[in-house]
Amino acid sequence: MSVAVTGTGGAVRPPRPPARRRGPNRRLTGLLFLAPLLIVNVLVIAGPAMMSVAYSFTDWDGINTPDFVGTANYEALVGDPAFHRALGHNLVWTLFFLTVPMGMGLLGAYLLSRVRRGRTLFRIAFFIPYVVATVVSAAVWRQILSPDAGIGPALASFGVPWVGDVNALGDPDLALGAIAMINNWQWWGFLVMLFLTAMQSVNPSLYEAARLDGAGRFREFWHVTLPGIRPTLVFLFLMTIIWSFLVFDFVYILTQGGPAGSTDMLSTLLYRTAFSESRAGVASAVGVVMAVISAVTIAGYLVLRRRLRWEV
Amino acid sequence: MTHHLPRRDAFKLAGGALAGAWLLTGCGGSGGGSSAIDYWGAFPTPETEEYFRTHFIDTFNESSERQVKMTTKQLTNLASQTDTAVSSGNAPDIIYSPGPTTTVSYAQGNRTIPLDDYADQYGWNDRLLPWAQQLSRVEDAMQSVPTSYGSLVMYYNRAVFEENGWTPPTTKAEFEALCEDADSKGIIPVGAGNSGYPAQSEWYLSCVLNAAVGPQNLYEILTGDRDWNDAAVVDALETMKSQIDKGWWGGGAERWFTNTDPDMCTGIANGDVAMYMSGTWSFSSMGTFFTDSGNDPQDWDWAPLPSLAEGVEPGVFPMAIGTALSISSDSSDPDTAAAFLDHLVGDTSRSLGYLAEQGENPPPVAYGADDFPEGIDPRAQRLYEEIPASDNIGYASWTFLPPQTNTALYTEFDGVITGDMSPSAYADFLKTSFEQELGAGGLPTPFTPQ
Repeated sequence: MSVAVTGTGGAVRPPRPPARRRGPNRRLTGLLFLAPLLIVNVLVIAGPAMMSVAYSFTDWDGINTPDFVGTANYEALVGDPAFHRALGHNLVWTLFFLTVPMGMGLLGAYLLSRVRRGRTLFRIAFFIPYVVATVVSAAVWRQILSPDAGIGPALASFGVPWVGDVNALGDPDLALGAIAMINNWQWWGFLVMLFLTAMQSVNPSLYEAARLDGAGRFREFWHVTLPGIRPTLVFLFLMTIIWSFLVFDFVYILTQGGPAGSTDMLSTLLYRTAFSESRAGVASAVGVVMAVISAVTIAGYLVLRRRLRWEV
Repeated sequence: MTHHLPRRDAFKLAGGALAGAWLLTGCGGSGGGSSAIDYWGAFPTPETEEYFRTHFIDTFNESSERQVKMTTKQLTNLASQTDTAVSSGNAPDIIYSPGPTTTVSYAQGNRTIPLDDYADQYGWNDRLLPWAQQLSRVEDAMQSVPTSYGSLVMYYNRAVFEENGWTPPTTKAEFEALCEDADSKGIIPVGAGNSGYPAQSEWYLSCVLNAAVGPQNLYEILTGDRDWNDAAVVDALETMKSQIDKGWWGGGAERWFTNTDPDMCTGIANGDVAMYMSGTWSFSSMGTFFTDSGNDPQDWDWAPLPSLAEGVEPGVFPMAIGTALSISSDSSDPDTAAAFLDHLVGDTSRSLGYLAEQGENPPPVAYGADDFPEGIDPRAQRLYEEIPASDNIGYASWTFLPPQTNTALYTEFDGVITGDMSPSAYADFLKTSFEQELGAGGLPTPFTPQ
């Protein structure tokens, strides 16, 4: 880029780009482009969101005119063991997805960044589960984990002990972990792709400098790679927390919250409360709690970003 | 790159956006301004839909000045779509309910109109079975017309029973003897499970409650004159729990949450399951499980539920309304809507033809032996001859329980199966939930024991 310098020694502004017409007409055009999406967002997101907050203070049954009940729905949630159980499951789910898939994704991306031949093949292999429809993945895994015709009985027929009796989706002690692993199977390859892309943008001279300073692979990863991909890492941490409190599809398809409530999440509880129990007011309160959790997560992130001066 | 829109194009864009928004909002409406009567239907197969359209919609439209326009919805979400449409004031002229509980809710919100004048005009009160008439009423006004009904029965494989020297049990002692014999031979005595559909547990609970607690006691429970934690209920649940622990139901607790309804129907066909208590909706599909597994589809049969306690008559039929139809209070032409309702329930040969050809449950009216068309499955004919003649009529949970208690009935029962909740604690939970909903009003009125 060239900069014009005057004879008086002071740098002056770079040459102005060709003049563009500005003013109300340009702003109007921008607004018109935004208007359709804005209208859709107001109709589909903001409007229902505000209505949900309002309904959470009523005894609405989903059909008839609601009556205001104050904070009764929230008080009911505080004393409801099903809500506590679902919230606990969401927390376990969050912890799992902040650690296992993240760790697998980072490791996979780091190893893949070292691969020179066949990298595309690995990328495709890792990414395929992510593009398979959830309902298809769930159906396949249901068959794989079937205690009658799945992998357990198949291995047992070869003499592998113990696995023949494992009923992963039907055992209250195993079901949540089983669904988390199934979801992870779909998810971690996507993380590999994101981390790999971020790692490839890290300045190679930093690795060279680290090596000259005697850093090993682990120190390189810890002191160069991780700081280099921090924006991606932080963003995915944030989104993982939010998504973990919205998880619904795999759980609903595979167990609908069962057996015995062992995989019940806030989302499945909300769905059941609204559509099976006809307590749309209480379900709205569950939805508001979920939204508050997401809002607190985002607020925490913004505070950290400001205090730690993250450039994300 | 920036692109500058001329003012004329900007107006075109704005016009397009407005038109798009209008289209979006228009999509939510039900076409209330249309001249035809709106009816939402849902069907298990495209063939069933085609049959219904030809024999019910087209025949009505040929004989009526005003037309009925049927919109096909998915069977799995017709109820929730109707709820949404009703609550938003965009209900079709004819409102579907999966049973009396929803009908009561619509009626109490003045979303439907009383049908008593139409009942007199079309003679519905003379035609409907007494228990169905009672169920159609909300606060002394007829609010819905039931257009299909079924029951819960015990399915079995005739060939397997003959091979083992069994006959369908009618008493608790016979039931338990058969279960012990089947169990000793490695056959699951009673099919059960709820994988893929947690509410499946309420099919078995409805059977046990009707067969072990009895219709009279259940009526008193449903009207609030007897508690859910009554000794008869707790005894029935404890017996069932002990039978589950013995592996009699579905092979035991560890299999309950993995077994599906198709698994159990296939088990009946293969001889892996001796008996299966389920709904008469399986009449249309049970033969398929036999054919698919290489067995003779003529071998499946059904028997009424056995008595599972002293003092309860064997052969109870728990009644379940599959579809009840009401007329929207916003309907532009309730007279035509009522005429269409009469068209659905008024011609026994048409209803029984639907049963014969598609296996779809008919309306709850009395049928004579001559009404059944040639070629109808004799097993289906026997059911719809026996029920109207029976005075042992019971209550299916999803038809008679209010929504919160009904959901608790099958969700909390999981805890009983796993042993996390005792049968008496479960009964206490149902009592608390039911009393809350009873106090709030809006419960369907159960018919008096027949």
